[in-house]
Amino acid sequence: MNEMNKKYALLSKSDDNASQAVDQGKRTFIGGLVGASGLAVAPGVMLYQTAAAKPLEQAVSNAVRWGMLVNVNQCAEDCDDCVTACNDEHGLWPEEGSTTDSQWIRKLTVKDPSTGNAKSLPMMCQHCENPPCVDVCPTGASFKREDGIVLVNMHTCIGCRYCMMACPYKARSFVHETLENQLPDSPRGKGCVESCNMCVNKIDAGDNTTACAEACSKAGHEAITFGDLNDPESDISTQLKAHGGNQIRADLGLNTGVRYQGL
Amino acid sequence: MGILLSKLAVIKHSLALILVLILGMGSVYAVDKHAINVPAPKGEECVEDAKWMRVNHFKTVLNHRDDTVIRGIRTEKHSLKNCIDCHITPNKTGDYARYSNSEEHFCASCHTTAAVSIDCFSCHADRPEHVIRAARQQSQLEALKKNSVHVSATELILNTPQP
Ligand code: SF4
Ligand code: SF4
Repeated sequence: MNEMNKKYALLSKSDDNASQAVDQGKRTFIGGLVGASGLAVAPGVMLYQTAAAKPLEQAVSNAVRWGMLVNVNQCAEDCDDCVTACNDEHGLWPEEGSTTDSQWIRKLTVKDPSTGNAKSLPMMCQHCENPPCVDVCPTGASFKREDGIVLVNMHTCIGCRYCMMACPYKARSFVHETLENQLPDSPRGKGCVESCNMCVNKIDAGDNTTACAEACSKAGHEAITFGDLNDPESDISTQLKAHGGNQIRADLGLNTGVRYQGL
Repeated sequence: MGILLSKLAVIKHSLALILVLILGMGSVYAVDKHAINVPAPKGEECVEDAKWMRVNHFKTVLNHRDDTVIRGIRTEKHSLKNCIDCHITPNKTGDYARYSNSEEHFCASCHTTAAVSIDCFSCHADRPEHVIRAARQQSQLEALKKNSVHVSATELILNTPQP
């Protein structure tokens, strides 16, 4: 654990330019046209973007950008309900006799070396707007969905693991061993890289939350807020507006979709 | 020259005839096996014409795959999950066949007969979700009994002393 502390102590240092706006350019553009909630594509035809469930047959669009806000002050050090919930939602279960298993979300303790102040927080794929994992992927398997969620298309992943090297957050795992008992909504297998998919199955089903956020609320901590960063009325946007939110390693300019308060 | 050509034609025709015979036998065999061992699907009829599906299901599944992964389209009609939910039903003893069971698993029964080796189920679920969750609980109980310890890959790397 102390090893980890040291490695991640670095992470909490760079909060200076952390309040970089979320998709600022796009919001101004849309706002300038018709106000932030709808975009006219032709007379009488409006593209509405709400957090409400999209019809199953409709493709995702960049009218929304999904994100999460973690209030570190509300995250309990001895709690890992978010991790358990993620593992259960996606079937990240250790196989009989396996020595390695994937992590999509993990709990970290970060420590400011100058003050000794330590915080516990969940760390997962930050769903970068400019994702290095996508830049380096030789096959295009690592990609960003229109709505900002960064995924691995396992059908085209060749398992080279460049993306794992490129990710500043160590957010990705490689599946080393043959898996059994995968769940229908989270297909995964040996030879592919995987990471937090922001519960894309739940979002597409209109659940409007993620397994970790749900579990955190259930445990009474309410430390994780999920929502649409593009919608100024959403819970996450209002919280960000009122109290701000930092990006971890904001200096990298990745414009992450996961933000932290209290770091 | 003429004789050679007509000889060739005869060979060609008989080859075609043999092929037809083999194919015919194959399909009878497949239908037979199917009728005996594979449990009946849940639904009344397939989402597409069954005959058409036998020949083309991989195209629909392939299209749907990209629509879902890349564009987030989640219609049920051509989704593999929907196929599995309908076609993988309990056998006479109440068990759900795994893909490795070429006698009873709907997909495997035909793939095996037709000598198709396709890799869907090394990643995708070969049974409905509730069956997998139940199996998971069972194996968890057994693991608890054995008291096995698992270490995550990241932890392994972080805890290994660097040279
Ligand atoms: S956090 Fe890592 S895995 Fe996630 S989008 Fe950014 S670079 Fe990719
Ligand atoms: S491991 Fe897969 S997703 Fe990652 S860079 Fe290689 S091909 Fe792309």
